[in-house]
Amino acid sequence: MVKETNPSNVVRFEHVSKKYGSFRALDDVSLEIDEGEIVGFLGPNGAGKTTAMRILAGFFAPSGGKVWIRGIDLSKEPQKAKKSLGYLPEAVKLYPDMRVSEFLHYVAKLKDVPPAGRRAHVQEKMVLCGLTDVGHRLIGRLSKGYRQRVGIAQALIGDPHVLILDEPTSGLDPKQIADIRGLIRTLGKDRAVILSTHILPEVSMVCSRVVMINQGKVLASGTVKELESCLKDRREISVRVKGKDHRQAAIKLLQGLPGIEALRMKEEPGEEMRFVFETTQDEDLRARITQLFVQQNIPLVEIQRVELTLEDIFLHLLHEGRFAWKGPS
Amino acid sequence: MKKICVIAQKEFAGYFHSWLGVLIGTLFFILTGVFFMILVLSYTKVSMNPQQFGLASLSGVNQTQFVFGSFFTNCSILVLFLVPLLTMRSFAEERRQETLELLFTYPLSDFEIVAGKYAGLLGFFALLVLPLFGYLAVFRWIGGEFDWGPVLSGFLGFWLLGLAYLAAGAFVSSLTRSPVVSALGSLSVLLLFWVFDWVENISDGPWAHIFAALSPLKHYRDFSVGILDVQNVVYFVFFFLYFLFLTLASIETRNWKH
Repeated sequence: MVKETNPSNVVRFEHVSKKYGSFRALDDVSLEIDEGEIVGFLGPNGAGKTTAMRILAGFFAPSGGKVWIRGIDLSKEPQKAKKSLGYLPEAVKLYPDMRVSEFLHYVAKLKDVPPAGRRAHVQEKMVLCGLTDVGHRLIGRLSKGYRQRVGIAQALIGDPHVLILDEPTSGLDPKQIADIRGLIRTLGKDRAVILSTHILPEVSMVCSRVVMINQGKVLASGTVKELESCLKDRREISVRVKGKDHRQAAIKLLQGLPGIEALRMKEEPGEEMRFVFETTQDEDLRARITQLFVQQNIPLVEIQRVELTLEDIFLHLLHEGRFAWKGPS
Repeated sequence: MKKICVIAQKEFAGYFHSWLGVLIGTLFFILTGVFFMILVLSYTKVSMNPQQFGLASLSGVNQTQFVFGSFFTNCSILVLFLVPLLTMRSFAEERRQETLELLFTYPLSDFEIVAGKYAGLLGFFALLVLPLFGYLAVFRWIGGEFDWGPVLSGFLGFWLLGLAYLAAGAFVSSLTRSPVVSALGSLSVLLLFWVFDWVENISDGPWAHIFAALSPLKHYRDFSVGILDVQNVVYFVFFFLYFLFLTLASIETRNWKH
């Protein structure tokens, strides 16, 4: 049977699920990833990110569903499909007794890099990952950052079309994190990169698309902008008023306005009151609220629109378990 | 096939990276040297005064049998303790370092991984066994005489015994992430097989014979006295393949769709 696959889909998950005994680590996940995309798997610990990546990397087979890599069925022709994959497991320790270049040559042999260009190939990856100075050193003696780079270098050997990085920046110092992120952005230009993380800013910095996963299910998928913009029609406005005496007047005034929902009030230090509410209307109410407050002689000290961050979306999704937004059409 | 060799090579070299192999090798050569020396010395003692040892004359005592027969028996006990140390890292260490996870995601079949590991182990074992031929030269040099037949069959038997033990040890190693647990586990399994050999001494029922027939030492004994029986060779090859298959099955459990 000829399977219809979109040629630009480098990776395709079709109703993939994975069970460990009665525990469902992944539940009917379908996903498509194209070349040139950097996709971030985002989710709390135990959400199923690592399971999804292990299935994609061919580490184990899913309990149900299919994975296609560049049109090749991973379960039917695993060795052919795996040639297009590079995988960095989470917190991999590698072989501490091997030297960096020796290990990379070993990987190159296992990944069918032809002997003629093997030395140059390994050298190229070492330069790319900044490993030229430590090529002769034992992996076990390297710092965590360098070991992580060796891990990325081994994933890059064989020039895979799909790069799977499980928490590539965890446990590194800020400088190393910045280096690795830069490297990932470079690598993502001509291949598909899939990385998992629970660090939210990382996703907006590095990824072109976010896939939010929780309890084995995909909650949302889209670019960071798309995810942010869909929450923006649920605009939130914060108003700060000086003096507690004006509380009643302010509440009355705000409740009188059309399209105001979920009004919350909080006392703040310095005799200040803060009101936060959502507006469903398209028009910007800020100008009107300012005007009304001034007319009523309520001392308005601050008014601002609350920008929703990826963090808000994420927490919102985790609590509600769903999202009004349906994803890109 | 090429990749099996790549993995085997790396496994083999790994024994020298960590000093574990060097240590095991040194221990093996010191102990076998001691066995050999004691046997030669005691043969000299017996041959000087056979009557004292209850022998009418020296004609009934076979030099080959006296020295090399006992030598191989001693060696069989020695490998019982050395094999768990040789195999403890093969899979357990890779699981612990999570490098097995990497191997599974390379374009390799599970068989290539397991076969490569086994080949590396056998290679290292060959490195231990081959220098033992040097004792033959030493024996000649000090004026001893031996028959090639029983000696060669003894070497074959020792090689096959090692092969079988290594297969069992590697299987136990594939079950755990801790090399220490792996070593203790393999030692228990091998000791259990050793004990099987004694059952026949205590009881004479059909079960006793079945247990004895399962014991590697019973099959090994024939080799060391120069009896080359196809049944025994088949037993060891089957023992090896059986544990190879179990190892393969054990690393494939990750794919179970439960």
